[in-house]
Amino acid sequence: MKKLLALILALVMVLSFAACGESEKPANEGNNDVEGEALTAENIKIGFIHVSDPSDMGYTYNHDLGTKKMMENLGLSDDQVINKYNIGEDEGCATAINELIEAGCNIIFATSFGHGDYMTEAAAEHPEIEFCHATGSQAADSGLSNYHNYFTSIYEARYIAGVAAGLKLNEMIANGTITEDEAVIGYVAAFYFEEVISGFSAFYLGARSVCPSATMITLKADSWSDPVKEGQIAQSLIDQGAVLISQHSDNTSPATTAEAAGLFHCGYNSDMAEAAPKASIISARADWSIYLTYAVNCVLNGEAIVTDWCEGYAEGANFTSPLNTAVAAEGTQEKLDEVAAGLVDGSVHVFAGPWSGYYVWDQTPYECAEGEWVEESETRSAPYFGYIIDGITLLDA
Amino acid sequence: MTYENVKKEPLIRVAKRPELSSKKAILVRLLSVVAALILGGLLVLALGHNPIAVYGDIIKGSLLTPTALKSTVKIAVPLLGAALAIAPAFKMKFWNCGAEGQITVGAIVATYFALFHVDDMPPVLLFTTAFIGAALAGGLWGLIPAFFKARWGTNETLFTLMLNYIAIGFVKYLRIGPWMDKGQMFPKIPMFDKAARLPEVFGVHIGWIIVLALVFSIYIYMTRTKHGYEIAVVGESVSTARYSGMNVAKVIMRTMFLSGAIAGIVGWMMVCGTNYTLSDTTANGYGFTAIVVAWLSKLNPFTMVIISAFLAVLQKGSNTIQTNFGIPASASDVLTGLILLCMLGSEFFINYRFVFRKKTVGGDD
Repeated sequence: MKKLLALILALVMVLSFAACGESEKPANEGNNDVEGEALTAENIKIGFIHVSDPSDMGYTYNHDLGTKKMMENLGLSDDQVINKYNIGEDEGCATAINELIEAGCNIIFATSFGHGDYMTEAAAEHPEIEFCHATGSQAADSGLSNYHNYFTSIYEARYIAGVAAGLKLNEMIANGTITEDEAVIGYVAAFYFEEVISGFSAFYLGARSVCPSATMITLKADSWSDPVKEGQIAQSLIDQGAVLISQHSDNTSPATTAEAAGLFHCGYNSDMAEAAPKASIISARADWSIYLTYAVNCVLNGEAIVTDWCEGYAEGANFTSPLNTAVAAEGTQEKLDEVAAGLVDGSVHVFAGPWSGYYVWDQTPYECAEGEWVEESETRSAPYFGYIIDGITLLDA
Repeated sequence: MTYENVKKEPLIRVAKRPELSSKKAILVRLLSVVAALILGGLLVLALGHNPIAVYGDIIKGSLLTPTALKSTVKIAVPLLGAALAIAPAFKMKFWNCGAEGQITVGAIVATYFALFHVDDMPPVLLFTTAFIGAALAGGLWGLIPAFFKARWGTNETLFTLMLNYIAIGFVKYLRIGPWMDKGQMFPKIPMFDKAARLPEVFGVHIGWIIVLALVFSIYIYMTRTKHGYEIAVVGESVSTARYSGMNVAKVIMRTMFLSGAIAGIVGWMMVCGTNYTLSDTTANGYGFTAIVVAWLSKLNPFTMVIISAFLAVLQKGSNTIQTNFGIPASASDVLTGLILLCMLGSEFFINYRFVFRKKTVGGDD
């Protein structure tokens, strides 16, 4: 009887690999041979790991703009920058990092949260290279001097965009298009964790600061960049009563979906009014060139890069796109200027009470009283505001 | 019979070809590759790039640097493994579209051992246990649709396909729920400890040795054993198999267990050798691409080696051109799709031909 043949073959394989199991992993050295030669603006090489590509017209597009501006600031040529696009948050990331090291990069930036584990491992293996990870939170804990995190206080720009959204809702209520109770914002979330929660909470608080009856519903795409799904989620939110869409995802499909439904939208990363001129009011944007220029300059000057970098609206690290006056409610610009001035001089706090809610991971209730506020991005560059404020409903949590 | 009922011969119809000589068949296949390259070249031109530079970059970015080559091999190995997994089932004309799910359940079990038993087992025992566990899990996952098919004649294509979503959905639950990395703020399963990662030989995890061993094993199993013969007979005609006294239900279930088990092993090497963690995308579409590999290689394990290597080069290379030429991911997917379409299309022209309606004088109308 040969009925156990497959099993025997499998066992042979197990044994064969058990025998190989003892062999040592070969040392994996990168060929960084710039040592001995000083780094200058002419010979420095910079690598980027992107989760999507600039055709998203969103996050990666915007980060790429930052790269171009940084190259301009420092006078770098195109062949000094290597962009790896569409690198998933998986083993492909380790490969991409290795390829950048092989190509001789002196500093490597990764732009998506899920790249963190691979950046941490690479930073430990290659102390001669600087690793900078946007939105991540592992650098400080790793204790590595060549590993850094960066992000902007994007929640400030989100808050301003939220105010513009709230004023639009007010206008719709005043026009009789919707009732007060129908002032529902739909939010396309990539995932539910601090970076996203911080963003939609800031946006919601901004809207509520001018439109007290505003509520928000959210759905998640389980992906940073999935144009089709983002559009479908926006449509689903609209079907469930949302009259204004905002998003924390990389593509413009939520904007165009809102436009097709004759509704309104606030964008993220790029000026989405270009994609949806009849719907998109304003977009919260980051200017990555400030950090990129700083970090590359540090390498050139032999200085240490800070472990956690987070600058905000006051420094120009985040900003809002020009107000789309064709869509925005009357008097929006004046109000936005006032709020922006308050953020800069410290009189306006984004996560200021009164609000109540719960902590997303363990549902513990939390109360933020009038006159108090929750700090964000003070100790770490990555956002850590993790409360779900009452008034926001996660439809699929 | 009325006049209208007389069927008019269509302008073009498709007819089965008499067996094409192998020389001609190879020629058709070569022509299809050329056609694919030209079509793809037109696409690249339309995107504003030089096709020759782009094709060169696909080769360079997938084969010509050590990291790129390793990465290409790391794509080819699970792809080949998955194709080997579905081969016995396909030979039996049991359309196992569930390799994706079988890989995933194998990966889940392997991850369980890698996460929770890394401290209390020496590496070799850990890998072996995870390996056997993954194979059993994949096998059982494959056995479910086989049992239903054998017992009640359910449609295996739908059944295996649906089981994929259950397996992947379960990973999502583990990722957000019990297995979430508590040290991070992001819902993901932790990275494996160094001790739970497969050793490498020539810079690639040892899974490649296992898969190569499987190539020979499956070849022998399919062509030189009684089991292989039974699979072939059941595939050709269930009635013949039954008439000659074979236990068809047993053959179906046994073969699907084997098919699922190999897929489970692929899952094991994906998490322990490549990703070092489990995610919803661990199977990475290999279970589906494997169907293309299996068809193009006509279920011959040795041809599968070549086809999966070719597809791996395309996949890795298309990633490189995104980087070097700024070609969007969707466009490079179109390019790979065109090449595959032409290759699969050539099989059509090898087996069939077009017959044009002859001009007839004084025909029916």
